[in-house]
Amino acid sequence: MAEAAATTQDRWGGGVCPFDAGWQKVMMWMFIVTDGLLFGAFLASYGYMRFMSNSWPNQSEVFSIPFIAAMTFVLITSSATMASAVAAANHGDKATVGKYLLMTIVGGALFLGMQAYEWTHFIQEGGRLWANPWGDPMFGAYFFLITGFHGTHVLSGVIILAILWLRWNKGVATSTGVEMGGLYWHFVDLVWVFVFTCFYLL
Amino acid sequence: MSSEKTAQNPTSYWKIWGMLLALTIVMLFLDQAPMPQTMFVIIMVSAMLTKASLIAAYFMHLKQEHPFLQATFVVGLVVNASFMFALFIPDAVRIYHMVNG
Repeated sequence: MAEAAATTQDRWGGGVCPFDAGWQKVMMWMFIVTDGLLFGAFLASYGYMRFMSNSWPNQSEVFSIPFIAAMTFVLITSSATMASAVAAANHGDKATVGKYLLMTIVGGALFLGMQAYEWTHFIQEGGRLWANPWGDPMFGAYFFLITGFHGTHVLSGVIILAILWLRWNKGVATSTGVEMGGLYWHFVDLVWVFVFTCFYLL
Repeated sequence: MSSEKTAQNPTSYWKIWGMLLALTIVMLFLDQAPMPQTMFVIIMVSAMLTKASLIAAYFMHLKQEHPFLQATFVVGLVVNASFMFALFIPDAVRIYHMVNG
């Protein structure tokens, strides 16, 4: 007990590394939490509107849920390939890292293409930021806000991973860099789990 | 330091992928199944939180991180998000009843 207390004191009493993690990882987690709270605020606000509205559209009549499920499958798979890239980087398997990073980038690009298709379909059906033919006008606003903000994160992730892939192939990127790219990409996947459930299924 | 900590067998990631996929399929199946709304919401939210926990714990390696890091970030995120929902939703219900009698 006393030993544990002493260790804690060592860690926090001017200790160099209380989280047992490098500054990159701590900063990335800080970013993830703050960005996660922003998404949390969007979803809480969306829940507020849903509760308040008496004409909220039935999502399954507006969207093709199997198509959204396919988008989910693509993103979950890209997360698994990213995790495999991180593992390979930690094992020093250079070729495998490049392969898995490329697969992740392709997965992200495919997700973005599917989202562009979904947006196009939604707009062609009459969905706008300020109005839509299905019910409460705020439905369109929240659709564009939440999926658009998430899509922007996916786009940023694809760009980040593409730069990482190029740097890795040149031998400039480190395994820590791959790990940070992975943390960001998994966060994007994590957010989609909430968006998929709250916006499309509930 | 962090690289050694996060080195895992890649096969385990594909097992997590399988679990995430299975949960998603179950959610899609339940989306079509007739059931009371409260039970539907409870099951969906539980499945969502399970999926999120699997991603954070295994893909993001939070399970292997130091308890200080786990506590700082998980508790902070959960408490703040819960506050937001707890403050917004009752007010939405109040306004709904006010507007709809």
